[in-house]
Amino acid sequence: MSAHPRGDTLDFLKVAKDLLPAGASYDACVGCGICASGCPASGLHGMDPRRFINMAMLGMNKELSTTPWVWACTQCKRCAYLCPMGIDVSQLVGAARGAWATEDKPSGIVRSCAAQRLDESTSAMGIMSEDFVEIVEETLEEIQENQPRFADLKVPIDKKGAKFVINQNSREPAVEPEEMAPLWKILDYVGADWTYSSKGWAAENFCMFTGDLDAWKEMVETRVDAINALECETWINTECGHSFFTLWQGIEKFGLEANFEAESLVTYYAQWIREGRLPVNSDWNTNNLKFTVQDPCQLVRKSIGDKAADDLRFVVKTLVGEENFIDMQPCRSANYCCGGGGGFLQAGMSKERRAYGKRKFDQIIATEADYVLTPCHNCHSQIDDVGEYFGGAYTVTHLWTLICLSLGILGPDERKYLGPDLADINLPDEE
Amino acid sequence: MKRGHRRIETQLAVIGTGIAGFAASIFALKRGLDVAQFGHSGAMAYTTGYLDLLGVHGQRIRQDPWAALDELRRDEPQHPMSKLSNPTIRTAFDGFTDALCDMGIGYTKAGEQNLSGLLPNGVAKPTLSVPKTMLPGIAAREAGARTLVLDFDGLQGFSAKAFEVNFAERWPALKSARLTFPDMENRQVFPEVLARSLENRATQEALAGLIRPLLNGAEYVGVPAILGMHAPDEIRARMEHAIGATLFEIPTIPPAVPGIRLRECFERAFPDMGVKLEPQLKVSNVEFGRSGATLFLHGPMEDLEIEASAVLLATGRFLSGGLKSDQHRLSEPLLDLPILQPDGRQEWFRHEYLDPRGHPINRLGIEVDSAFRPVMPDGDPVNERLFAAGAILAHQDWVRQRSGAGLAIATAYAATEAAAAMLA
Repeated sequence: MSAHPRGDTLDFLKVAKDLLPAGASYDACVGCGICASGCPASGLHGMDPRRFINMAMLGMNKELSTTPWVWACTQCKRCAYLCPMGIDVSQLVGAARGAWATEDKPSGIVRSCAAQRLDESTSAMGIMSEDFVEIVEETLEEIQENQPRFADLKVPIDKKGAKFVINQNSREPAVEPEEMAPLWKILDYVGADWTYSSKGWAAENFCMFTGDLDAWKEMVETRVDAINALECETWINTECGHSFFTLWQGIEKFGLEANFEAESLVTYYAQWIREGRLPVNSDWNTNNLKFTVQDPCQLVRKSIGDKAADDLRFVVKTLVGEENFIDMQPCRSANYCCGGGGGFLQAGMSKERRAYGKRKFDQIIATEADYVLTPCHNCHSQIDDVGEYFGGAYTVTHLWTLICLSLGILGPDERKYLGPDLADINLPDEE
Repeated sequence: MKRGHRRIETQLAVIGTGIAGFAASIFALKRGLDVAQFGHSGAMAYTTGYLDLLGVHGQRIRQDPWAALDELRRDEPQHPMSKLSNPTIRTAFDGFTDALCDMGIGYTKAGEQNLSGLLPNGVAKPTLSVPKTMLPGIAAREAGARTLVLDFDGLQGFSAKAFEVNFAERWPALKSARLTFPDMENRQVFPEVLARSLENRATQEALAGLIRPLLNGAEYVGVPAILGMHAPDEIRARMEHAIGATLFEIPTIPPAVPGIRLRECFERAFPDMGVKLEPQLKVSNVEFGRSGATLFLHGPMEDLEIEASAVLLATGRFLSGGLKSDQHRLSEPLLDLPILQPDGRQEWFRHEYLDPRGHPINRLGIEVDSAFRPVMPDGDPVNERLFAAGAILAHQDWVRQRSGAGLAIATAYAATEAAAAMLA
């Protein structure tokens, strides 16, 4: 990425005034630098959050409207978390992104948003509604045929009045449909009354990352309309971070009417375990493999707060054994973004993205854990990538994989995110 | 979609996440109280890591803080620490440093005399307790020992050369050198970044390997405060062994590692210790009823309502939002507590910026009674269930008196004791 000559030059102080809640102000910055010190994007493209605010104060609008750093900031809000004045640089970054001419924005993010607008499915990987339904049905048939225990497995689509409607990241139906199975099995195990929606089912929202508010709003409207029409009590966001934030924040920001509650799948994993409906344990972990967990910024710091981090730890500790869990430091609401958020993974800036991710890599290595669990697809991809790039020996996996492993219902084809040490552990009985 | 709503019941609600707030929670736990603490960020990341009790009194630097406290009681009877005896202050101070040690950050126990803590610009200041990672530097300076001080390419906030030059006359055996930190070539970095990187054993070994050839007979090696974030004493010991010389840390200018260490240490340990901590949320409103108070907080997705039997206000001064000022007057924004203040701002400052007597505004704040309850102008408590501690209190000038931690810890202790007595 390089600075671009086109697009609008914003008046950042005015933008700040419009964005900030009453009583807050950017000129309250005392220049302490705690934001820059705690930001993994500091130093990329010669910029950091403090410098960004200082330049806004100085009226350096042209430079701020053109710096490619706005695509290296993942809008994780760690700066706002640390700032004694509560200054939130991520909102200015969002506005700056929106002011770039579309042709100058990172094409990967723009393309993903464009794909989402092709069809009511809202899939960033361009899967149309009917294709999604077909892929789900085919995958389901295969499981029913090959896994006797799940011969009667159901995957309802557009079931009006179901208790839960659950979204689905596009990556699975697009490239690894067998990875949908563990979640279906869990829902079956607990007897959840759930459904997919054929419209607005996709758990990604790159339109928010483009900074194009109209596109973000359009995405959220499509999804909210689809969910409203199904008249489900609760919308559960799958193991993904940003699709949760974009939906609830979009509903609030754009003043939409939603007749459902928004919850994270992690909250329900925890609840089902507490209720005894998901009787997982760590008996399978006879080698005492060590696990750490990534708190997705979008889910924890930016949305639910430490309550989500507590649930996440409860689930993971139950799954791997308390003594085999090691927290990264810092963690919970203070956690570092991995560098996979904000569209960074799709922005084509791998050098900067990996420099950003080095801090996450160091954090993981310091735990000396064998596995990193993360309930977010972007975190998953980024942590996997920096592990490979910097030579880490850890494996990144989803929670659903481990839950099914513990329950003894994880099929041999559903283990691509487990290391060889777990390839044969707790395989389902052949019947 | 409805906003979430959560209700928490607690005996003591501590408002504020600076040293006073965290100390209050520690003391409340020790008293067996059920405690919840709220705040957002705050000023703790700006500390050197030193815990001062009283370093300056009567415009003189003091070696004996306990004798200085005796004088303070005589000269400034309204000072918040003048309400407390030396044994009480010592109990509080020891309680706080013991708790820090238990949580994994080693601190020296308060002695009879102040220590001369090293500062990044090559001077020393009087302080009572220092992180154990910093103690050997004090000994090295006192002995004038052969010492190598290091900094790193691109590091913000610390210059080994400046440290060496400023100490040169009093410490001729001090030398400095600059290294490139492993994997941090060609970039500007904050100390925090280096500290995170040193959490990693491979980085510890790589850095020790770079330091060893530079020793040239040095008995001590000083580095800016970067020896890890969560187990600094272990990392110091491991690296000291690898280097073969006594290793110590020197504080850097803010934002510095020692303060971030304290903050993250509390955030890490408190939930397990039983404190309900919300370190990301400011209290937006408090309403007092007959049997307690209701605190209102607003998270991104949910609203919190805290039912507390007592409230301890430790919101600090201007930086952390405990006090506010406009062009005419000071105010306390959360509860609108009365502040005794002059009629106009012309009385806030002395004519000379560096006037050794300090500026009157720095001594304005919340008036409290002997039970550390904020009082109305007539001297009656604002509410029987409201207590206050720390820098928000009137009649102290903690920056000038070098008494920030002492003030926070001692008054937090006294306020917590008073709250516990009221709740008993």
